[in-house]
Amino acid sequence: MRFMRSAIVALAVTTGAVSSQAAEIKVGVAAALSGLAAQYGAAIRNGFELAADEINAAGGINGDTIKLVVEDEQGRKEEAINVFKKLIFQDKVLVVFGPTLSNSASAAHPIAQASRTPVFGTSNTADGITAVGNYVFRNSVTEADVLPDTLKKIVEKEGVKKVGVLYGNDDVFTKSSYDNFVKALKDQGIAVTTTETFAKGDVDFKAQLTKIKATEPDAIVLSALLAEGGPILVQARQLGINLPIIGGNGINSPKIFELAKGASDNLWVGSPWSVSSDTDVNRNFITAYERKFGSKPDQFAAQAFDALNIVAAALKTVELSGDIAKDRIALRDALPDVTWTGATGPFKFKQAQDRSGKPAGYDADQKPIVSVTKDGVYEIVN
Amino acid sequence: MDAFLLWFDEFWAVYSNLVLTLGINALLALSIWLTLACGVLALANAAFMGIGAYAGALATLNYDSPFALSIGVAMVAPSLVALAIGLPVLRLGGVYLAMATLGFGEVVRVVILNTESITGGALGLNGIPQYTQWWHVLLALVIVIFVLARLHRSKTGRAFEAIKVDETAASLMGVDLRANKLLAFVLGAAIAGLAGALNAHLTFFIGPQEYGFDRGVEILTMAILGGVTSIIGPIIGAVFLTLLPELLRGLADFRLIVNGFILVAVVLFLPNGLWDPARFRRWFGSGR
Amino acid sequence: MFAQQLINALSLGSVYALFALGFTLIFGVLGVINLAHGAVFMVGAYAALQAVVLAELPIWAALVIAFIISGLVGLAIDILVLSPLRKRDAPHLIPMIATIGVAIMLNSAAQGLFGADTLRFPPGVVPDGSIEAGGLHITAVEIGIIALTIVIMVVLLLGLRRTSIGKALRAVAESPRAAALLGIDVEGLFRKTSFVAAALGGVAGVLISLYANAVYPLMGQPMLHKGIAVIILGGMGDIRGALIGGLFLGFAEVFAVAYIGSTMRDAVAFGLLFLILLVRPTGLFGKANERKA
Repeated sequence: MRFMRSAIVALAVTTGAVSSQAAEIKVGVAAALSGLAAQYGAAIRNGFELAADEINAAGGINGDTIKLVVEDEQGRKEEAINVFKKLIFQDKVLVVFGPTLSNSASAAHPIAQASRTPVFGTSNTADGITAVGNYVFRNSVTEADVLPDTLKKIVEKEGVKKVGVLYGNDDVFTKSSYDNFVKALKDQGIAVTTTETFAKGDVDFKAQLTKIKATEPDAIVLSALLAEGGPILVQARQLGINLPIIGGNGINSPKIFELAKGASDNLWVGSPWSVSSDTDVNRNFITAYERKFGSKPDQFAAQAFDALNIVAAALKTVELSGDIAKDRIALRDALPDVTWTGATGPFKFKQAQDRSGKPAGYDADQKPIVSVTKDGVYEIVN
Repeated sequence: MDAFLLWFDEFWAVYSNLVLTLGINALLALSIWLTLACGVLALANAAFMGIGAYAGALATLNYDSPFALSIGVAMVAPSLVALAIGLPVLRLGGVYLAMATLGFGEVVRVVILNTESITGGALGLNGIPQYTQWWHVLLALVIVIFVLARLHRSKTGRAFEAIKVDETAASLMGVDLRANKLLAFVLGAAIAGLAGALNAHLTFFIGPQEYGFDRGVEILTMAILGGVTSIIGPIIGAVFLTLLPELLRGLADFRLIVNGFILVAVVLFLPNGLWDPARFRRWFGSGR
Repeated sequence: MFAQQLINALSLGSVYALFALGFTLIFGVLGVINLAHGAVFMVGAYAALQAVVLAELPIWAALVIAFIISGLVGLAIDILVLSPLRKRDAPHLIPMIATIGVAIMLNSAAQGLFGADTLRFPPGVVPDGSIEAGGLHITAVEIGIIALTIVIMVVLLLGLRRTSIGKALRAVAESPRAAALLGIDVEGLFRKTSFVAAALGGVAGVLISLYANAVYPLMGQPMLHKGIAVIILGGMGDIRGALIGGLFLGFAEVFAVAYIGSTMRDAVAFGLLFLILLVRPTGLFGKANERKA
C-alpha cells in the first residue's frame, strides 16, 4: 500500500519539522513520480530518501538536518519548469536534484542556472546537459564514458567482430546511448550488420529481432530501458537467438532477472555501479535499501543515493550564512572539489564544456565495471 | 503598495511560467474551437503546434531571425501544411476526420524523429533562446480573440454556424462547404503554430514527444470542457485544465485520481461545459 | 526469414485485433469512442496478475477473474458515466472526454496500488519456451492469442447474426430510438455490451501482457493508439473490421520493419491508414452513412 506509506512519511516529515528546532537544510528533488517515467522516478526518490535518512541519523551536516522537498514533475517539460520554479523561488531550497528525464532537464536546468542555484542531475545522460552553465552538475555517467570499456571486454572474451544493433529511437536516453554505441563501435572497428529501432510501449520486437538474426551477427547491441529491455531479452531467446546482448546503463538493474526470468543470461552491461560490486559502501547501501523499500535498488537509485552524499560532503566544508543566495553560491563553489566513494565507487567531477568550448558544468569522472548476467546474478568480468 | 509589489515579485518568480502557459493553452483551445465552430472535428492541432514550434525554433536557432519573424514562420508553415492536407482530408466526416487527423499527427511525429539532421530527432532542439515575454502572450491572445470574435459575427461566421448546424442545408443555401471548412482549418493551424512558437521560445527545449496523441486530446478537452458555445468557453477550459494539477499538488499521490474525477464530474454535471451563458441566466434569473 | 516474419505478423496482428474487439464493440453499439478501454485492458492484466501471484491460481482461472473484474469496471463506467450522458443526449464527443477522465483515474489508481514498476507474470504460468520447426519459432502464447482471437470473432459474429440478442443489438446499432420503439430494452443491451466489451478488453490485457512480458500502469495507452488505427482501418464499429484491421496493421508493421526499415514502421502504418481513409472514407468495412450518436 503505497498510499499509506507515503501518507505516513509525509506526516512524519511535517511533524518532524514542527518539533525539531535544529536548523534545516532544504534540498529539492524534482522527479517523475507519475507518467511513463514513473518507475525510474520512484527509484530515484527512494535513493534520496534513504540517503537523507542515513545522513540525518548520523547527526546531519555539522548539526543541521537535511529536509527533502520532493515534487512530481510527471516527466513533462512544462511541469519540470513549474516544479523548479516552485522549489527555487517558493521553497527556497539550497540545491535542486533532477529532473528524471533529459528532455525535462534541458527545459528546467536553465532556470536554475539563471537564478544561481546549483542543480544536480542523477539520471540525465544526454549530451549537452552540463553545457548549460557552471551551476549544472551530474553524477549520471554517460554511455560515452562506459561503452568503450564494455566493448573491449566483450571483444576480448567472446571474439565479437560484427554486431546487430537495436535501439529505441523515440527516447532521449536510449537514443543518446545509441549515438555513443555507434561511435564506440566505429572507434574499435566492429562491423554493424543491421540497425533496427523500436518505440516506447511496443509489445512486439520479433520483427526486428528476426531481421537481426538473419544478418548473422556475433552479438546484439541493445540500447533500451528496462520496460522494453526485459521483453526484448525474452523474445530474442524465444526466437532462438542465444547471442550475447550488450546493454546500456538503462537495463543495469537486478529487476532484469525478474522481467526476463529464464532468458536473462549473457547480458553484458558496463556501468560504475553494479548490484554485484562488492565494496562495503555498496553492500551497506543495498542492504539498507532492501530493508526500507522491500526490493533491490537499481542504478538510478544508487546514483540518487550517491548524489545527496556528494552534496552533503560539499556542505560539510561550507559555513552556511542563512542567506540563501550566498549559501547557494558557496555550495556551488565547494562542489567541484568533492571526492567521494559511494555505492557507485570512487567519484569525482570533471569540467564539461559548452558549445563554444568554454568551461561550463560538471560531469562525472568514474571507472566502469563490466559485468555479465549468469543464473540470475551479475558476474563482474575482470 | 510596497508589500503588494514584493508579493507580486515573489508570485511572478514562482508562477510566471504557469501564467504564460495558461495563455498559450488558451490559444490552443481557441485554435480547435475555430474548427469546431465550423462543425469540423479535426484533431491535428497538436501536430500543427509542433510544426510551428519546430519552424519557429529552427528559424531562431539556425538563421538568427528576429522573434517576430520566427513567429511569422511558425504561423505560415503549419498553414501551408493545413492547406495541402485540408483538401483531401476535409471530405471525411465526423469521427473519421478526427481519427485521420490524429493519424496525421503520428506521421508528423515520425517525420520529426527521422529527420535528425534538421530536427535533432528524439533528442529534440536544445538551447532555444527565451524570447517569449508576458506581453507577447497577452498581445497574441488579444489579437486572436479580437480576430475570432470579428470573424464569428461576420458573414463567414454565420456560414460556419450554418455548416455546424446542418451541412446539407447550408450547402443548399449556397454556402461553399469546402472553402469555409478549409478556411477554419488553415486559420486554426496558424493559431496552433503561433502557440507552438511562443511555447518553444519559453521552455528552452522542444522534443517530438510533446505534440502527439496526448496533447491532441488535451487540446480538445480544454475546448469541450470549457464549453464551445462561445469564445470564452475554450479560454476558461484552458485555464481550468492547466491550473487543476497545480492546485491539486498538495494531494501528492492522489493528485491525478482527483484530477480525473473532477474531469468526469464536470462532464456529467455541466452539460454545456464550464462557461454556459444559458445556465448563468437560469441561476441568476437576469434577462427573463 | 520470410516465413518467420509471416508468423510474427500473424501474432502481432491478432494482438491488435484482440484489443480492438471490445473497443469497436462499444463504438458500434454505444457510439462512444471509449478512451478508457486501454485502462480497462490494464485492469484485466493486473487482476489476473494478482490472482496468479497472491492466490496462486492457474492461468485459466486468472483469465476468468480478469474477464469478470474488467467487465464489472466496464459496467460501472456505463452506469455511472455513460448512461447519464445518454439520458441527456450528449453529443458524442462528450462521453469521449468523460472516458479520458475515467482513464486517468484508473491509471493513477493502479499506480498508487501497485507502484509504477514494470511487472510480469511469473515464468511457468504458461509454457515459456517456443516450439521450433524447420527454423521457425512460435510460442504457446502466440498460438493461444491467434486461436482465441479467431474463436471470439466467430462467436461474436454468429451471436450477432443468429441470436435474438444479436438481432436486437444490430437494431440498436442502426438506431437506438427505432429499436426502443420496437420494444427492445435498449438500456439493458447497452449495459450488456459495456460488460462484454470491457471483459474482452481485460482478457486481451492478460494475453497481451503474457505475450509482451510486461504489466505496468500505463500499458494500455500505446495499445489505445494502435486500437484507434485498427478500428478506423476496419471500419468503426464493425467486428470483422477489427480482425481485418488488426491483421492489416500487424502485417504492415512487421513487413515495414522487414523490408523498408524499422525507423519507418510507424510512418508506413499510419501513412497507409491515411491513404485508405482517403480512398474509402469510412474504412474497409464501414457503412456509407455514419450514425449520429
